[in-house]
Amino acid sequence: MIEGIFVEGLIYGIMVLGVFITFRILDFPDLTVDGSFPMGAAIMAVFIINGVSPWIALVLAFIGGYAAGCVTAIIHNKLKVPNLLAGILTMTMLYSINIRILQNRANLPLVKAETMLTKVSSLTEGFLPQSAAVLLFFVLVVVLFIIALNFFFHTDMGLTLGAMGNNEQMVICQGVNPKVMKLIGVGLSNGLVAVSGAFAAQYQGFADVNLGQGIVVAGLASVMIGEFLLRSNKIVLLLSRVVLGSILFRGIMYLGRFYGYYINLTPNDLKLITGLLIVLSLAVTQIKKRKRNRQAAS
Amino acid sequence: MKKICIFLAALIFISGFLFAEGQAEEETATIGISKIVSHPALDAVEQGIMDALRDLGYENIKYDLQNANGDLNTAASIANKFKAEKVSLAVGIATPTSQALATAMKDIPVIYSAVTDPVDAGLVDSYDKGEANVTGVSDMTPVKEQIAMIHSIAGIKTLGHIYSSGEANAVKLASIAKDVCGDMGIDFVETTVTNSAEVKQATQAIIDRVDAIYVSTDNTVVSALSSVADVALKAGVPIMSADPSSAEQFDILAAYGFDYYGMGRVTGQLVAKILEGTPTSEIPTQYMTNEEDLILHINLDVAEKIGLEIKDDIREKADVFVKDGEVVKK
Repeated sequence: MIEGIFVEGLIYGIMVLGVFITFRILDFPDLTVDGSFPMGAAIMAVFIINGVSPWIALVLAFIGGYAAGCVTAIIHNKLKVPNLLAGILTMTMLYSINIRILQNRANLPLVKAETMLTKVSSLTEGFLPQSAAVLLFFVLVVVLFIIALNFFFHTDMGLTLGAMGNNEQMVICQGVNPKVMKLIGVGLSNGLVAVSGAFAAQYQGFADVNLGQGIVVAGLASVMIGEFLLRSNKIVLLLSRVVLGSILFRGIMYLGRFYGYYINLTPNDLKLITGLLIVLSLAVTQIKKRKRNRQAAS
Repeated sequence: MKKICIFLAALIFISGFLFAEGQAEEETATIGISKIVSHPALDAVEQGIMDALRDLGYENIKYDLQNANGDLNTAASIANKFKAEKVSLAVGIATPTSQALATAMKDIPVIYSAVTDPVDAGLVDSYDKGEANVTGVSDMTPVKEQIAMIHSIAGIKTLGHIYSSGEANAVKLASIAKDVCGDMGIDFVETTVTNSAEVKQATQAIIDRVDAIYVSTDNTVVSALSSVADVALKAGVPIMSADPSSAEQFDILAAYGFDYYGMGRVTGQLVAKILEGTPTSEIPTQYMTNEEDLILHINLDVAEKIGLEIKDDIREKADVFVKDGEVVKK
C-alpha cells in the first residue's frame, strides 16, 4: 500500500507542479486545472483506445493542456477578465470539449487496454514486482520533469517568469510584455496538469469527464503542505518539496481512510479534512511570518 | 533542529502505513465495498448486499465501506486500500469505482453493481460470461416497459426526457429511450443538464411541449427530482420515473422499475455464491429486468391534481399506491 501512496503522490505531483507554477510563481490563481486535468485523461484514453502509442498521446495531452491554459490567459489578457473568472470560464467550456474528445461519452474504460503501465510492468517482469516497477517508472518521470523545469527556470525566460510573480512592474520596466509571460506560464502549468491527468487515467483504468472535481483543492493543499516541510529559495528544492507535499497529502488522506473509524471518522469527512489542512497550513505560515517579523524588528 | 524534527515526524508518520498492512491480515472474511458517492439509491444497494449476506448466514463478515465523495481520483486510492487489506472480495457500486477496482485487482474477485453496461464500461468482454476475477449485476432499467407503461396510463404523443450529459449511464439510457419512442411512434423531446442546479430550468424549457416526462436512473436528475415534480405538477404533466424507491418522497404520477435495495440483495446473493467457491468466469452479468422484480408505483393524489383517470387494469398491476398522502403497499 505504501507504494500506492507514493505512486499517487507522484502522479498527482505533476499536477501540483502545475498548480505551484500558477499559484506561487505567477501569482495567478488558475481554476482551468479542473478542466485540463480530465482533458489530459481524455486525450490519453482516446488515443490508447485507437491504437496510438501512449508516448505520442502524452505529448498531445501536454499540447492540449497548454492550449487550454493559453485560452484562459488570452481571456484574461484581452478581455480584462479577472484571472479567477477566466479560469472558471475555460474550465466550464472544457467540460463540453472533454465529452467531444471522449467521442460523446462521459467515461472511457482502459481496464483492458495496453497502457504505459502495463508496458512498463511487462518489460520488467521477472526481476521486479509490478508495483515496484510502476513506482520506479513514476520516480523517473517526476525526476525528469523536475530536472526539465529546473532547467527552464534558469533560462532568461524562466527567471523573468519568476520575477513577474514577485513584481510585475519591474518586469514591465525591463521591457518585457507581462501578457506574453502569463500566456507561457499558464500554458505550461496546464500542460503539466494535463500530463498528470493522462497518467492518472492509465493508473485508474478510465478517463471520465468528472475526473477534475476537487483537483484544484487537492493541488493547493499539497503545495501548502510542501511549504510546511522545508523552506528554501532554490527552485529545484521548491519543485521537489511540491512533489513531497503531494505524497504527504495522499498519505494523510490514506490515514484518514485507514484509521479514521477509531475516532468515528467516515469517508464522508475527508473533504472537511482537506479544507482544514489548508487552513492549518495557512495559519502556521502566518504565525511563522509574524514571529520572523518580530525578530527582525527587535 | 526544527527541520530535523519535522523530518522525523514525517518518517514516523510514513512508518505507520507499514503497521497498517500487518494488522489487516488477521481478519477472516473481509468485503470491501467502494461506492462513488453517498446517494439514497447507492446506499440502498450497500444495505441490500449486507442484509442478503446476513440472511444467508454470513454473520462474521467484516465490511469496509468506502465512499469516494464524488471525487473520482480517490477511486484508485480505495482500490489500493482494499488490496493492502487483502480483502476476500471487493464490490464496486457504480461504474468508475468498479473500473478502478478491476484495474487494481487482478487476483481478488471484483463484483460490480449498479453498472448499466459492463461491456461498454470495459469490465467484462461479453454479456454471456464473467471475467477471470470480475462479474456483477447490471442496473439497466427496463426503458421500453416504462415508456409503454406511461403510454398506457396517459396516452401520450410526445415524451420529454431530462438527462445529465456527464453520466455515461444516463447518456446510454437516453439513446435507448429515443429508439423506443421512435418504434412506438412517440415524439421524443430531450434536454441535457450538467449538474442538479440546472434541472429545474431544463424542465421549464420543455414542459409546454410534452405530454409526459420520463426520468431515467440518472443520479443527477433523480437528486433534483423535487424540482422536476414541482414544475410538472403546476403544468399538469405526468412524470414516469425509473426509480420507485425515491418516488414516495416526491409528487410524481408513476414510477416503474426495480428498487436499488432489491438489486443490492441480488448482488449480495452473487457475493455469497463466489465466497462459496463458484468462479466469477462462470457467472454472466445479471439483469434486473424480470417482471416479478419490477415495482409499479402510482400516486393517485397526483393523478387527481392533474386530472388523469387511472384505469382499473393499471390499478391492479400497481404494487404501491399513494392516496390522500398515505403510502399503501400491496
